[in-house]
Amino acid sequence: MKSLPTRNSKLALHRAGFASVPAMLDYAAEGETGVTFYNAKGEQLSALPWSDVRQRAHVVARKLIGAGFARGERILITADTWPGFFDSFFGAQYAGLLPVPVSIPVGIGGKEAYLDQLRRQIAASGAVAAFGLDDLAGYLGEAAREFPAVRLHGGMDVLHALPEKPVDLRPLGVDDLCYIQFSSGSTRHPHGVQITQSALMANLAGMTGPAGLDVVVGDRAVSWLPLYHDMGLIGFLMAPLSAQLSIDYMTPRDFARRPMQWLNLMSRNRGTISYSPSFGYDLAVRRGAAQVPADLDLSCWRHAGIGGDMVRADVLERFASTFEAAGFSDKAFIPSYGMAEVCLAITFSPHDRGVSTDTVDRTALAETQRAVPAADPTDDRQARRFVLCGRVLPGHRLEVRAADGKVLADREVGRIFVSGPSVMPGYFGEPEASREVLSSDGWLDTGDLGYTLAGEIVVTGRAKDLIIVNGRNVWPQDIEWAIEAKRLTKNGDAAAFSIDTGEGERVVVAVLARVSGEEARIALARDVAGAVREAIAVDCDVALVPPTMGLPTTSSGKLSRARTKANYLAGLYAPASPSSKPAAA
Amino acid sequence: MIVENDGIADTLELRRESTLARGEVMGEICHHLAPFQVGEKPVAGDTVIAKDLTIDSLAIMDMVMELEDRFDVSIPMNVVAEIHTVDQLADTILKLHARR
Repeated sequence: MKSLPTRNSKLALHRAGFASVPAMLDYAAEGETGVTFYNAKGEQLSALPWSDVRQRAHVVARKLIGAGFARGERILITADTWPGFFDSFFGAQYAGLLPVPVSIPVGIGGKEAYLDQLRRQIAASGAVAAFGLDDLAGYLGEAAREFPAVRLHGGMDVLHALPEKPVDLRPLGVDDLCYIQFSSGSTRHPHGVQITQSALMANLAGMTGPAGLDVVVGDRAVSWLPLYHDMGLIGFLMAPLSAQLSIDYMTPRDFARRPMQWLNLMSRNRGTISYSPSFGYDLAVRRGAAQVPADLDLSCWRHAGIGGDMVRADVLERFASTFEAAGFSDKAFIPSYGMAEVCLAITFSPHDRGVSTDTVDRTALAETQRAVPAADPTDDRQARRFVLCGRVLPGHRLEVRAADGKVLADREVGRIFVSGPSVMPGYFGEPEASREVLSSDGWLDTGDLGYTLAGEIVVTGRAKDLIIVNGRNVWPQDIEWAIEAKRLTKNGDAAAFSIDTGEGERVVVAVLARVSGEEARIALARDVAGAVREAIAVDCDVALVPPTMGLPTTSSGKLSRARTKANYLAGLYAPASPSSKPAAA
Repeated sequence: MIVENDGIADTLELRRESTLARGEVMGEICHHLAPFQVGEKPVAGDTVIAKDLTIDSLAIMDMVMELEDRFDVSIPMNVVAEIHTVDQLADTILKLHARR
């Protein structure tokens, strides 16, 4: 099979500036570029020019409209990287329906946790249909059983079996929503971000424009990022589509198994733009460095973006030195910052600079919330290095504020707020949760902490307790709940948090050990780690806390994860699990 | 004619299945999991992989991938999500192998 061309022969590159997703697909469909799917061996599975994507979407749209789905209704779709997702997502766009992309199950033994997640997402989105991979049809049916509102569910055969009726398309327009993005909020209480067509168009204009990636003729996107995350769906489907680029895909699973295929794909197809959280670059080094093909040529890689987790300079430096011989330039790195609540992106580092860092004094940072340049940047115990993530996109504003709302000066750490046309109108059906993060004058509280430095943002951590491990957002409540669900501890007897090991985040769970004897203690620690692994597919260290000591609480009696973490780092709780590695502060 | 074809298919399937013994699959799985056993308790059929051992999720994924390559099978994600024990993993591989 021939891969799809990087350049359109006649169609002029039109960078964003469309009214809606249907409008941008209509335009891209006039050219020859499109999307190609690859397997773990790097073999091409299928290729869909944008014209085919549009054609197939029109068929699906007529089937959905013909089946009686009303404008604005929600359609849940398992967002694996496969043509069926494109059919249903874009089909919904032309049928006036709102897609709700959801993840696929992770790891072994994850069925119950996955069903539970599906049920919560159906409930939160009020979905009336659920489509997915054929393999997951049974799960969709099981999850939908208790929701009579879900009128149709199953694999793509169920969707394709609908008769195509001669109805008019009713594409979503500039004043409509585009889709609902689940990636915020815990899986227990998921919040669906309302991605509007207009906010998306504004964000795409920023991303593809001169302050973003400055997309040009000859660019080609390569991605393994999951399409159920904003970085995968908006960053590596919507953004390339908005500039009529070709995209080469592999699934996140295949990337995790064979990370070198990501780089092979870049090299072979002369990819110019690809993104990953830091952990993806790390994985490529750790599992790929020993088998670098002699003909690997990454000199084509113009923008190597980083986003989705804390940007780690050490990881990126290792990646650059490992693949320098293969033509990779460390100047290609573009540290970026964003979140689903602004569609995706809010800041980009300047082009051709690579990773710029600021090394500050740990004590001043922790005790006075000031980012004071470290006296000795090489002293890891006293110095902490952060990556500059660039300037806010044009037309948007960014402020770092103190607890009292005062806008802080450079090098003063506070909460990061943003405003502008990319900001969401709120979470779907959750006015209260929306009010918690959105002010009446349109400022979004990102929940992140950071400071400004000569117009750029430096993100230092999260005000929320959110844990990000291997690029996945994990809410500590979900971990604690998984342990309680197995009746290993009582409610409130477990506190989950993450520690920075210098190489990534390590999850630690502190549990009250209401057992006696070394054997029982070891068994408890093992069971806790096992329960977390089974339910959340996350590895953790377990710290056993003597019941007499108790877990710290806030003044209102709520569990304080921040103080639990501080106690742990201070050495108050001894690691107990036999699998525990020593904690690094 | 149809009956005859079915007969041939059955014979072929039986022959294929007979080339892969359960012991071989169990041996391979245990070989992967042995480094993660806790204490003196050896890995057995009823061992719950994610819970009874110290193996982490990335290593589990690696093992599944290597088993898939070794026995030339592909375990669908919905099936993976329902596997808990070593026995279940072995039986899944045997079943998929026989169906190739």
